[in-house]
Amino acid sequence: MRPDVELRLPVDSAYVSVLRATTVSLAARLDFTIDDIEDLRIAVGEASAMVLPSADEGSDLVCRYYLRPGEVSITVAVSSADPELPEEDGFAWQVLSALTTDTSTSFENGVFSVTLTMNSTVNA
Amino acid sequence: MSSETPATGGQPEPTPLSAMKQASADLFIALDNPDATDAERSVARDGLVRLHLPLVEHCARRFRNRGEPFEDLVQVGTIGLIKSVDRFDTDRGVEFSTYATPTIIGEIKRYFRDKGWAIRVPRRLQELRMQISAATADLTQGLGRSPTPRELAERIGCTVEEIIEGLESNNAYATLSLDAGDDHDDSASRLLDSLGTDDDQLEHVEIRESIKPLLDALDPREKRILLLRFFKNMTQSQIAEEIGVSQMHVSRLLTRTLAQLRESLQETR
Repeated sequence: MRPDVELRLPVDSAYVSVLRATTVSLAARLDFTIDDIEDLRIAVGEASAMVLPSADEGSDLVCRYYLRPGEVSITVAVSSADPELPEEDGFAWQVLSALTTDTSTSFENGVFSVTLTMNSTVNA
Repeated sequence: MSSETPATGGQPEPTPLSAMKQASADLFIALDNPDATDAERSVARDGLVRLHLPLVEHCARRFRNRGEPFEDLVQVGTIGLIKSVDRFDTDRGVEFSTYATPTIIGEIKRYFRDKGWAIRVPRRLQELRMQISAATADLTQGLGRSPTPRELAERIGCTVEEIIEGLESNNAYATLSLDAGDDHDDSASRLLDSLGTDDDQLEHVEIRESIKPLLDALDPREKRILLLRFFKNMTQSQIAEEIGVSQMHVSRLLTRTLAQLRESLQETR
């Protein structure tokens, strides 16, 4: 499936704020409540923090947004030779799963990604 | 506001109001005395500031529970007080507190306006932010959930774009340290103070208490060696010299004593 919005950034934590701002802006257009938006902002930051340490030097942080009415899926991915997969009982993972409707990670063909999905409280 | 209340309001000081006014007036005379030396003037100025500090506290107290530590407010308020001491004109015939109160409050308000923001945010956005928070509280009550930007835009009468901008500017209003207290009162309690950890010292208490009788049971020479080694931090050779045995012997004795202690400690536990 082709993402509705795709964003490619340098693998540097300094650019995560761009990601957060974009997320907020997109979610606001999809009729998420401001609490949802705030949660998403934190979740995206948290997901980036999960993948960034594993990223290969000089690669890109790719963020894909799949938008549906009242629902957004965000995949944050980096290419990585040796990813450090998050522990399911770790703090970061707990935060992510608490904030979002659904969260998953994958490591395929040297790409380490975290996907989070969130449904708007309004439609629920 | 009457000019008297703030000066003594709630202060336990027995100083009668008139005495306070008199002291203030005397100090102003000293300050304005053209013949006074700089040192004398400085003393008078300090005295005036100190005399009116309770007024600052009174003013600062009105701004409590707004997310800023009370001490900080007192501090900026004091700057206002110092300014009013420097600017006060005794010839006007008004009480000093009448003049100082608005200056102090102005200084505190300015602090909220200017220093509350981590970066400079346009006035329009500052006001929008306030509108958003008011509307959010209102709509959350009505809807039973937090509102969407669209709902906020309808309520305030602006565009969704502006709401997003306003929400973004919210992030610039992040003045408090993560460690800041909830500021229920003047106490300086911090979040960190309320987080509990296991106190290592507690375990030490137990060990210390159980080792006491064991130490008492040691023979005097062993006890002395332990004392020299671990409390006077002497080397084994130094101890050997002090006691009059070979260093090897000290080493053996020490090892044996420690092993003994450790063993008995395990048993008692």
